This record gives sequence, C-alpha cells and structure tokens, in this order.
Amino acid sequence: MESVITSALEQGLLYGFMVLGVFLTFRVLDFPDLTVDGSLPLGAAVTAVIVTSGHSPWLATIAGAAAGLGAGLVTGLLHLLLKSGDRNSTNYGPKLLAGILVMTSLYTVNLRVMGGSNIPLLRQTNVFEQIGGWLSVHMTGWWLILVLAILMLIVKYILDWFLHTEMGLALQATGDNEQMLRSLGVNTNVVRVIGLGLANALVALSGSLVAQYQGFADVGMGIGTIVAGLAGVIIGEVIFGTRSISWVLFSAIGGSIVYRLLISVSLRLGIAPTDLKLFTALLVVVALSVPTVRRKVIRM
Amino acid sequence: MSDPAGLATRDLKKVFFPRTINEVVAVNDVSLQVNPGDFITIIGSNGSGKSTLLNAIAGTVPVTAGTVWLEGKNITNLAEHTRARLIGRVFQDPRAGTAPSMSIQENMAMAYLRGRRRGLRPGVPARLKRQMKEQLAELDMGLETRLTAQVNKLSGGQRQAMSLLMATVAEPRLLLLDEHTAALDPKVAATIMDLTGKIVQERKLTTLMVTHNMEIALQWGNRLIMMHAGRIILDATGVQKETLTIPGLIRKFHEVSGETLAVDRMMLE
Repeated sequence: MESVITSALEQGLLYGFMVLGVFLTFRVLDFPDLTVDGSLPLGAAVTAVIVTSGHSPWLATIAGAAAGLGAGLVTGLLHLLLKSGDRNSTNYGPKLLAGILVMTSLYTVNLRVMGGSNIPLLRQTNVFEQIGGWLSVHMTGWWLILVLAILMLIVKYILDWFLHTEMGLALQATGDNEQMLRSLGVNTNVVRVIGLGLANALVALSGSLVAQYQGFADVGMGIGTIVAGLAGVIIGEVIFGTRSISWVLFSAIGGSIVYRLLISVSLRLGIAPTDLKLFTALLVVVALSVPTVRRKVIRM
Repeated sequence: MSDPAGLATRDLKKVFFPRTINEVVAVNDVSLQVNPGDFITIIGSNGSGKSTLLNAIAGTVPVTAGTVWLEGKNITNLAEHTRARLIGRVFQDPRAGTAPSMSIQENMAMAYLRGRRRGLRPGVPARLKRQMKEQLAELDMGLETRLTAQVNKLSGGQRQAMSLLMATVAEPRLLLLDEHTAALDPKVAATIMDLTGKIVQERKLTTLMVTHNMEIALQWGNRLIMMHAGRIILDATGVQKETLTIPGLIRKFHEVSGETLAVDRMMLE
C-alpha cells in the first residue's frame, strides 16, 4: 500500500507542473489549450537529447521548458491568425484549432528532435540524482517526494507572485473580461500569447522531469495530457475549493496527486492499463458533474 | 481643425455588410467638432447610428471612410487598445466594465494603469490602495471597505459605479458613455447619472454620452446632438440647448426626418 501512495505522490507532483500549466490556460486564460499533448513530450524529447549528448541535466531541463515556451508562443500566434479580427473572446473554435494544429505538428517535431520514437535515459545522470548527491541521500521514495514537493512549492510561489503583478493581473483579466481590459488600453493579444507560452513551459518542464524520473523519453507519452490536466484541475477544485487564486494553485496540485492516487488504486483493483484513458475521461465527467449534482441535491 | 485639443470626426462613414442585400449605412458622413470640456448628450432612435459613432471613435469597429482626430492626432487607424490610452468608456451592460472574478482592488488597480506598460511590479501596491479607498468612498456605496471582495458579488449599480470610476481615474482625454444607465432600475440609474455629472465636472472631462432618455439628454451636458439615419440632424449648444424641451425635440425630429418619432424606445420619462 505504501508503494501505491509514494508512487501517486511522485507522479502527482511530477505531473503537477503540467496541471498548473493547464490551470493557467483552461481557467485563467479561458483558453482550452490542446498544445499540451505535444509540449509535454517536447520537454521530454529536448531534455533527453541534451542529456544523452553529455550536457548537464539542469541545462537539459531548462532547455526542455524553453522549448515548451516556444510551442505555447506558436499556438498563441497561430490563434491570432485563425481568429483574424474576430473580437468574440468566447469563440473557442480558433482556440481549439490552434492547439490541435500545434499539437499535431509537435508529434513530427518530437520524432525529429529525438531521431526516433524513444530515447532511454537509464544510464544518464538526472537532476534528482544530482540533488541526491548534494544531500548524500538515495533519491527514492520519501526523499524524492520531499525534493519534488519543495520544487513544486517554489514554482507554485513564483506563479502565485507572477499572477499578482501588473502583468499577472492583465493575464487574469484577459480570461475574465477581455473587452474591459482592451478598453483599459491593454493589448490582450500579446498578453494571451505570453500566457500560453508560460503555461506550455510548465507543461514541458513536467515532461522533462517525468522523462528523467521514468528513465526514458517517448513520443507517445503526451497522449491524453489535456484530459489528465483537466482531471487534476477539476478534481482539485471539487475537493479543495476555489477561494482565491493562491488557494486554487494548491487545489490543482492536490488534484493532481488525488488523480494519480485514483489511477494507482484502480490499477491495483485490476483495471487494465489499456482501459486507463477511458477511466480518466469518465473521472473528468464525474468530477465536472459534481458541482451540478451538489446544487440539485441542496435544492431538494 | 478649429481646436486641436478636442475630438473631431471628418466625413466619418460606417457601412455594415457593404455590397450585400443587408447593407446598412450606420454612420453617414458625420463631421463633428468637439471642444475640450464639452459634455455632449447624443439621442436618436434605434439604428440612428449613435452607438456606431461611439464605437468608431473608440476603435471597436473599423470605419469605412473618413477620419477621427483626437488632440490634433489622426487616430482613425489606431488599434482599439492604443486609443484606449486616451479614451475611457462605460458600456450599457454593468458586467462589461469590470472583471467579475477579480477583486475590487485588482479591478481598480488595473484601471489606474491605463495606457501604461504593465510589468512585474506588484499589481495592487499599498499607495494605490489608499488612493482607491478615497475614490471608492466618494461613490458612497461602501465599496472602500470591501476591497478584496469579488466584483461579481456586487449589484449592477455598484458595478456600474465602479466601471465609471475605472473609466475615469486615469484622467482620459475623452469619456464615451454608451447608454450606461439604460440597464439599471430608475433609482439606481439616477444615482449613476448624478455620479457621472459630478465626475465629468470635477475632472473637466470631454464627454460623449449616448442615451435613449430625452429628459436625461436635456438635463445634462452643455450640448445636445440628435441623430437620425446615420446623420446629425440637430446640434444644439448653449442657450439653444437650455431652451430645448421634449415636445420641441419631438417636433424638431418630425421636421427634419419627416418621420414620426419612435417614442416607444425614446423614453420620455
């Protein structure tokens, strides 16, 4: 049982960076960004290539996140092209299409970057081992969880700080009332592009860390990222609430962990790994309907 | 240009759906000279072009022909957000002027930064909090004690009062009000209108206010413009405006347009 919990915590935290990215686009920017299915393996691919060519895993991790930043910027710019003059910010067509196009393109990009569909990293040093070396501990189990939790807290607080700067408020308002922000003299198009870049940097960072953790980068590792991300965000909101932005960031991380726990438990209970994607989708549907059901029950 | 400090339009034209069966000439060769400090009320029946005129000035709709000048600068082709540095706006929908899931102080802080570059400084610095408290207190709605409350918890009147404040705190060169009291109940509308008058006067804001309400149009401002079919059919200032009456306006409308005024939408009271 302990291994179920530790592995859920590890994965929940590793993928938690991705969930924060999905939160940023889906909730803050009101932009359902499908790029993430491609930017997660992009982060992994770039990191894997740099590490295997003998460079520092830290450089590789930063480069992976930077590649995600680039992917997000491309989605943002493509969205501007696709919506061409459409001022209706609740029109999701161009947003979805921009994400789908970049996600699909990234599949090719990732194969090209890796020069194949899989790069093993088992014999390479990674950031976790290096941190373990500094602390003179063996980086498994609770030590790994502790380090991941600290990394996550640092990223969480940076994101929280950023969302409360002048720029961050503009980012929030772009998703909340774009017309108002434009009437206050802000170029919301630029703000959205920046937001998409940051979000995908987080997603790619997640991919990079996952690759180093599991010991390989694989072109298929991004499939279903958006659904897993949504599951984390929504489960977090349902369980931990949404009282403020700072709190919701915690909720999303918590949601990510709970989601991985549900996956581990259901695997233990005998759900076939091949059925997991369907299980995840159903989980999102259930979590999404909780607020509605709750309201109905209260009314009765 | 007689006074480069004000707002001017030259032969401004806006055609919707050009060269189709649905073609509508919403604004037809409107040349308007607005002097600094003018408070102009604009009336006209539905489809007379008054809102489109405001939108063309604000840059939310591209114009078909003609030019818009502000402070001696041709702003016709500037992006909406670029001119918004000089132009404050309040919309009819009280939800349009504020970000609903953000707090009162965050909304206000964004408004103070109108036209300025937004960086990584704190979004709601302490000095701004003091300033917004004072200014919110002047609204007399108790908002200054609820700085961290989400705006979607406020009433329509409170939100519209905030929108008005947010449109004006950074001292824009021009204030555009598009039927900003039309969606409120009469008592709240009167409060918002008084507040508007006070703010416009205190800050000597050049203001264009579109309204359906003739009484409001007569009561407020130093100049009244009546539009019909995309054109200005009456432009009254000074004594001429002060002596205007509702029956007089209706007669005037009939005279110029040759049509009966659609009184159903142009409310008398």
